[in-house]
Amino acid sequence: MKFNKDRNWLAKRAEQEDRHFISVGGLISRIDPEWQAEVSSMPNVETTKTAFVRLLQLARRERRLSLEQLAQKADVDLGELVKIESDESFKPTPRTIHQLAEFLKLPAKKLMVLAGLLQVKDFGLQQASVRFAARSEPVEDVSPEEHAALEEYVKFLNEQ
Amino acid sequence: MRETIQIIDTQTGEPVDAEIFDEVALTHFIETQAEWRPVILAAARALSQQPNQGLLIPRHFHWDWTRKEAELKLLAVKFYGLAHEGKLQGIMKVETVAHSCRLPEQQGKPLVYIDYVESAPWNIKKLMAALGQPQRFRAVGTRLFEAAVLQSREEGFRGRLGLHSLPGSEGFYINECGMTPVGRDPHKQNLLWCEFTPEQAERYLAGE
Amino acid sequence: MNPKRTMTLNLTDQEMSVLDQLSVQKDLSKTALIRQALRLYQLVDARITRGEKLFFEDQDKQKAELMVL
Repeated sequence: MKFNKDRNWLAKRAEQEDRHFISVGGLISRIDPEWQAEVSSMPNVETTKTAFVRLLQLARRERRLSLEQLAQKADVDLGELVKIESDESFKPTPRTIHQLAEFLKLPAKKLMVLAGLLQVKDFGLQQASVRFAARSEPVEDVSPEEHAALEEYVKFLNEQ
Repeated sequence: MRETIQIIDTQTGEPVDAEIFDEVALTHFIETQAEWRPVILAAARALSQQPNQGLLIPRHFHWDWTRKEAELKLLAVKFYGLAHEGKLQGIMKVETVAHSCRLPEQQGKPLVYIDYVESAPWNIKKLMAALGQPQRFRAVGTRLFEAAVLQSREEGFRGRLGLHSLPGSEGFYINECGMTPVGRDPHKQNLLWCEFTPEQAERYLAGE
Repeated sequence: MNPKRTMTLNLTDQEMSVLDQLSVQKDLSKTALIRQALRLYQLVDARITRGEKLFFEDQDKQKAELMVL
């Protein structure tokens, strides 16, 4: 096998790899049950954060709002909204979450947890967030599947 | 197969020699998983306790190794190990028969499917950062991925590759590696199926 | 790669024709195709030997059992 011997190639690829996890899920149906028990008892912030961003995006697209329009209607900073959607490590301010919660008619404390501002061990929330994040995509039209997923997720958040 | 390749020693920043090989010793892998697991758990716990987390808690799914002896004899399955001075730094499992291309332009053509790929936790920057420890080696996952692409070419599959990306890794496979996101697979918990065309594989190997 | 041994394959015209056609369809050499077929055969056989069953499911979701002996 002819592996690439170029130093610069290696450095560039290493840089890319370091920015991410590289997990694939081929063996997902054969998870070691002991491992699953251990890991699933921890709150998975990545999943809830992803679910949070997707929730915002879908809710916005459902209402056919641009980011500017949402910022105006919810009375939040546009710059922050942009950062929430584009920067995975960005943490929104509590006030912004509160405003968004009110505008979207969602429990503020739940949204805080999703956004990573509060740490709560809630396996049910984590599971629902994984399902929702997997069923939604950040692209143009809200598909019927996404609409259903959004409805279900919102219902779940409101129930508790 | 056993070849010498370079990975990066984080301490010196310099490439060092490592071995990539496909002769598998199951007990070897099991032992190694036993060594990896405590570190991953410690890192996951540390990450979950940190307040400022937009970061990822690892979704490393550990394979149930107990029933695997028979699978190792299958021609369709291949394991790769990457070792530095005898110590395993990464593993990958690929498969060549149960999956084929889904992109319309190459539908039904064979590909190499990456079932499992993992770098030892001490090589994963985000995990080590959570533990406040230095990352040991870089580009381990890259070399394994590269091996899968090279195998695809050697098989005559022309670099065609497929995998189900976990949610936290989609950006890596699509943006950094240049794979096409084909769609979410309802038979695999809606994970995103990503695929290489021969041209994309070529570009990856060449460094674009 | 692993060292290889050579074998001569005697095929009928029809078998050869199928081999040609599949090779083109799968964009594979004839050797690679036979290799894939062997892998698939071994994989299916291993699982059936373990007691599992292999099914095809048609468009109407009707299952028909296929057994490889």
